[in-house]
Order: sequence, then C-alpha cells, then structure tokens
Amino acid sequence: MLTAAHLHKSYGDLVAVDDVSIEIQRGELYGLLGPNGAGKSTTINMISGALPADQGDIVIDDLSDPSRPGTRRRIGVSPQALAIYEEMTGAENVQFFGRLYGLSGRRLKERVKWALDFVGLKERATDRAKAYSGGMKRRLNMACALVHEPKVLLFDEPTVGVDPQSRNMIFEKIEELRDSGCTILYTTHYMEEAERLCDRVAIIDHGKILALDTVDNLIRAHGGDSLVRIELVNPPDDPGTVPGDVDGVSVRIQTSEPVDVINDLRKRGIQYKSINIDRADLAAVFLNLTGRNLRD
Amino acid sequence: MIPVLVLAFKDLKLIYRDKFGLFWLLVFPLLMALFFGSIFSGMGGSGGRSAMPVAIVDQDQTDFSKAFVDHLDSSTAVRVLRPGADSARLLVRKGKAVAFLIVKPGFGSWQRMFSGDTATTLITGMDPSRQAESGYLRGLIMEAWFAQLQGLFGNASNRRALISKTLESIESRDTPSDQARALKNFLGPLDTFLAQSDTGVLKSQSAGTGGLTKGPRIAREEIFREQAGPRSSWEITFPQAILWALIGCSAAFAITVVNERTRGTLMRLRLAPITRGHILAGKGAACFLTAVLVCLFLITFAKLIFGVRTPDVLSLALAIVCTAVCFTGLMMFISVMGKTEQAVAGAGWAILLVFSMTGGGMVPLMIMPKWMVTISHFSPVKWGIYSLEGAIWRGFSAGEMLLPLAVLTGIGLVAFTLGVMIFRKTD
Repeated sequence: MLTAAHLHKSYGDLVAVDDVSIEIQRGELYGLLGPNGAGKSTTINMISGALPADQGDIVIDDLSDPSRPGTRRRIGVSPQALAIYEEMTGAENVQFFGRLYGLSGRRLKERVKWALDFVGLKERATDRAKAYSGGMKRRLNMACALVHEPKVLLFDEPTVGVDPQSRNMIFEKIEELRDSGCTILYTTHYMEEAERLCDRVAIIDHGKILALDTVDNLIRAHGGDSLVRIELVNPPDDPGTVPGDVDGVSVRIQTSEPVDVINDLRKRGIQYKSINIDRADLAAVFLNLTGRNLRD
Repeated sequence: MIPVLVLAFKDLKLIYRDKFGLFWLLVFPLLMALFFGSIFSGMGGSGGRSAMPVAIVDQDQTDFSKAFVDHLDSSTAVRVLRPGADSARLLVRKGKAVAFLIVKPGFGSWQRMFSGDTATTLITGMDPSRQAESGYLRGLIMEAWFAQLQGLFGNASNRRALISKTLESIESRDTPSDQARALKNFLGPLDTFLAQSDTGVLKSQSAGTGGLTKGPRIAREEIFREQAGPRSSWEITFPQAILWALIGCSAAFAITVVNERTRGTLMRLRLAPITRGHILAGKGAACFLTAVLVCLFLITFAKLIFGVRTPDVLSLALAIVCTAVCFTGLMMFISVMGKTEQAVAGAGWAILLVFSMTGGGMVPLMIMPKWMVTISHFSPVKWGIYSLEGAIWRGFSAGEMLLPLAVLTGIGLVAFTLGVMIFRKTD
C-alpha cells in the first residue's frame, strides 16, 4: 500500500535521512520509533509530499509522486504541530480542510459530522478551538486528517503534550482505524506507544533504520536478557544452590527465559516471597542498537 | 479557483473574528480622519463665513452703479474682484470667486426705475450647489441697491436734481405722450413741493422710497465650478485614512502568512491537494477583498456623514482597486521579511510608516514643501492618496488618473512577485 525506497535527504552537510526504505501493507500499523532528531518527521514529510526527497521513490496505492493532488487525496496527515485555526470552531476547521480536499455539500456535512464524532468532539463542535484542552486540540488535529476518508494515514507524534486520558482515547481511535483497514504510519519516541499499537516497528536513529520487525522479534533479537528479581523467605544455607547473584534474601538472575527460571526454582523447592520480572523492552532494544538511551 | 476562494474566505473569517485587528483596520483610520479632519476644518473651500470673493463687472459705469459696487466692496462679507466679463465667469469656474455679478448698462437709470422697465440689469452667476452663499449674496445685493436709493432720496438737492433730469429726459426721449403727461403731472408739482417744503419732513419719510420698486431685476446663471481644490478638510483626511487602513490591512495579512508558517497550518495546507500558488493567491485575494471592503466602508462613511464628494465613481473604483492591488503586493513582500510574527510585524510597520510619512499619510501632500513632494514620489502611499484625491476633488481626467493607477499596479505586481519568489525560496 505504501512503499518508500531508498529515501535520502540532507541539509548541507547534515544528513537527515539516509537510505530509508519502508514498505507498509494494507491495514498495517507501522511504527517509526526514534529519539527527537532521528529523521522521523523528515521521512513522514517526504512520504506526504511536503518535502521533496533528494533521492528515492515513493509509491502510495499504486500512485507515485505524493506531491500530485491525486496522490495527496489518498493521504491524511496529522502533523506534529497543532495545525488548526484556533479562532475557528472545531466544525469550521474540519469543514475547511474537507473543502480543500474537494468535499462539498451533503458529503462534506456527513464527513465533518463523522470525523468530529469519531474523535469525541461532537458536543464541542461549535466551540472555538482556542477553548479546547490540549488533548481536544490533538483530536481535532486528527479529525482534520480523517475528514476526506484517506486510505493512508500518517501520524507524526500525535500524543505530544496530551494528558493520559486523551492519549488513551487517541490510541483507541488509531486502533479502530487500523481495524477498519486503514494503512497507518505512526512516528513516536515513546516506546510504550510503539509496543501497544504497532504491528511492526522500525528503529530509526541519525536518519537510518537500524532494525525492523514485530515488537516481540525486536526484543528477542536486540533487547537482551530479562532480569528476574526474587525475594526469598529465608537466606539460602548454600548460596551456590540458587542460580544468579544472591545477596541475603535477594536474588537477581539475568535470563532470556524467565519462565524457565521460575519453574526451576519451584522444582528445587526454594521458597520465595515475591518474584519480579523486568522484561527487555524497546528502550533496551534501542540502547543495545545505539549505545544511547531512547530519551537522550 | 474554488480552493483560492475557500482559503480567502477562511482568512476573511479569521480577520473578522480578530477584534483587535479590526480596530486597526476600521476604527483607527476613522479616528485619524475625524481627528485631523477636525483640526484642519478651516481648510478647503468651505468659505462663506470669511469674505466671499465676488467678481463684479460694472458695464453701466454710472455714479449709481459705481456707488452700488463700492457699497458691496465696503461690506465685510464680500471681497470684490473687478475682472472683465469673461474673466468673471472663469474665476467662478476655477473656484477663485464664489460668484460673479455683472451690472448691465441702464442699471443706474432713474427713468428705468420709475418707468417700470422690466429689463434685466443685473446678472449673477454661481455654482448651483452653493445655495447658502447664493441667498446670502442676493441679500447683500438688495441691501446695496436699497442703500443707493436711500442715498438718492435722503438728500433734498439730489431728489430735485433727479426730478429735473428726469423731466429733461422725458422731453428729449420718445416717451409715449400719455406716460409723458402723467409723469410731468406728477413730477412737476412734486418738484415745487420739494422746493418749498421743509427737507426734514421728507428726510423722516425717505426710508419709504423703496416702495417705488421691488428692486433690480436679477438674472441668474449657473456656473459649475471646476474641482480645483478640496471642498472640506474631510476630502483630505479620508483619503489619508483609507491609506492608513490599507497599511493596517497589509501589516495584518503579512503577519497571518508568517502565522500560518509558525503554527504549522501552512504545512497542513501544503499537504492538501492544492498548489502553493493556490495558497498564496488565497492569501492575496483575502487581503485584496479586505482592502476593498475597508475602502468602501470609509468612503461611504465619509460621503454620508461628511458629504465628501464622489463625482467620478469609475475613477474612484479604479483608484480603490489599484491601491488595494498595491498594498496586497506589499503585504506579500513584507510577509517574507522575517520568520517570526514579531520580525514581520516590526519590518512591516517600519517600512509602511516610512512610506506613510513620506507619502502624505501624516502631512497632506498639498501642504508639503517641494523637496518632500519630490521624495513622496517613491512612496506608494503618495500614489494611493493622489489617485483617491484625483477621483474625489482633484478632478483628474482619465489621462491624469492613468499615471497613479499604473504606478500603484506596478508596485503591487512587483512586490507580490518578489514576495512569492522569496516565499518559494524559503519554504
């Protein structure tokens, strides 16, 4: 549904995107995870046609050149910045962008109504956007991207500055969109979002994609061992009988198979008060791949 | 075309909802016009209250007519100019005299006054729009005429000399015998009576002599004054106010362009299936429409409330359109002079204020020193005011309007093109 091959973009000596290739299947939710400045927005801007690529090809729904009006009609973009007019009402904002995408008359009315209802702003449709909370503005930003019923949706960090309640709602709506068959490219620097939402995640840093797979496969391949922390009932008489590092009643075990470790403890009859498993996550994947923390 | 209109309508909506912005677009220019209009209210051709310049041609050249003219000249309400007959009409046409007055031969003839001759002896000419001055002048003429009659009849020797002259002329002229006999029967005993009576008795009755006639017969001519100057200070301050409004309009829309950039809406517009040309044309159309609407509002206000003339509607419409084009172009150019609202606002107002200062936005062009008028040629504000004044009171012909209109359009197109080029480069 969306293919970007060997994208390259540089600003003078600074290489913003270096040979990035992305292929997203119809109905897939594809995540682009990386820290700020990794090249996520540049990539999304090239795919949306806002920024010409220095090199590379982009094909969306069998149409090349996203700067063409025909291709753009198939794309909906929810930009990182709140691209709405605060002096206009929610409905006027959605209506305005709907008109720019060629909607009019009854169809426009229906779509505006649907989009505002979808993002939960139906009741506040006639309020000016400046009166909205941060989360509501984000949802309005999203509604403006959805009004023309695009086949491909590009979400550029759609939860920046959003309260947990609104964030959760945005997640649910994005999942709904995916379930309805939309093809989604989602950029974020929050690994929790990528883990929850994305079918596949590409780890990007310094303009390059370092790894691409499902979340489980990425963790398995690059996340390293999980850490199992056990608090024993009594300190062991012989610390050598307990696997891992023993310090009094505390035991720490690095393992790729934490469930096997727990079963082994039971078999040996070692009694414990509590077990805590720190599973490897995408942050660990990023750390292992780049040597840096995702939030650095 | 539809995306341009959609974009323009959106901007109009945003401008309309920005109450503070509306103040600068509508209220501030209006206040400027009212303030300076009041200060300069003595300017222009309002006249009337100071001495009225009246061109008088005395073709009669009798003692009576000379005294009549001198009497008018002695009035503080009239300043008498004494040109030739043709020049008198020209002076009124050019606005250098409020009216002309031609004293025709026979005006001072005593026989005419008594014989009931209805021939016209005075011709006045005045712009028909100056009704108040017309009535006032007519009153002054009648006053002067009766004053001369009173002078004649108030003096006993004058009265007897007049009767004697009249009796002589009855003899020498072909007066019909019935009339001659009646006059002789009346004037002869009157002369005898005057010779014998106490002059004091008649003196006290002399005021009644006006009852002999209803005054001189006056013919009126309508002379349409050429628009050589502003009729009131409002005709100077409202074109200035319009230019202030357009300056505000330009600055406001220039800021909205950079606003779109900084707030991210420009990026969203660029992602829509429209071209960059649509976006810029939409912005230009909104600015142009706002400029035209603001001009129409101010002109209508000036016309309805202050009687500012709009004699040549087509020229005025062209002046408004070309000035709006010019300031739309300037808006586009100013919008790319910075990357933040503050930078664009600062640069915009700095440039536009200099244009306004040098172009007659603050000091009227007509009272500028010569060297400043030369500098003003480089300011679009000057050409804007000039074209509006040309349509309102300068009475420009189509040929004369062409220069300011061409300059305004030229500046607008060049500025818009430059703005678009820089916008493309920096986008």
